[in-house]
Amino acid sequence: MMKILLDGAVLMAYLACALFFLRFYLQSKDRLFALFSLAFTLMGVHNLLGALLAPTLDAERIHYLYVVRLMAYLLILGAIWDKNRAGRGAR
Amino acid sequence: MAEAVYILCALTSLACAVLLLRAWRRTRMKLLLYSGLCFTVFTLNNVLLFLDLVLIPAGDLSLERTVTSLVGAGVLLFGLIWDVS
Repeated sequence: MMKILLDGAVLMAYLACALFFLRFYLQSKDRLFALFSLAFTLMGVHNLLGALLAPTLDAERIHYLYVVRLMAYLLILGAIWDKNRAGRGAR
Repeated sequence: MAEAVYILCALTSLACAVLLLRAWRRTRMKLLLYSGLCFTVFTLNNVLLFLDLVLIPAGDLSLERTVTSLVGAGVLLFGLIWDVS
């Protein structure tokens, strides 16, 4: 019961962060914020899938869920790389 | 395959944390500090994931993993509301 409650809180926190980054993107048009927003939405999706599907998946398949999380982290890395590249180009 | 996904999750979140905190040291932008701290806690979460599902499959660290996810996202959310907006 406690875990379900906390999972819901985590989902809400991810989506709130995604919404903040979306606002920053709309204000600044900086691609970094759009990618951060997308990454946190993906983390939310992973969290939701984890809560809904994890009990039905067996031990051999559960790691497929974590590929979604990995994609979110790679998006963040891509966003930082993209920002650094843009910074170097401007100098 | 499963081990590779969990290890990659831990390594990529660690790389995100290091890059964000290094950028924070350079620019002193608060948003980078909170994002870096968030990914530091996510790295701990991914280490717990590896421990839970690969090293100690008989144990159950799912509550600890959920709590670390909440702390990580909570730190960033706190920063976004309190310091950055």
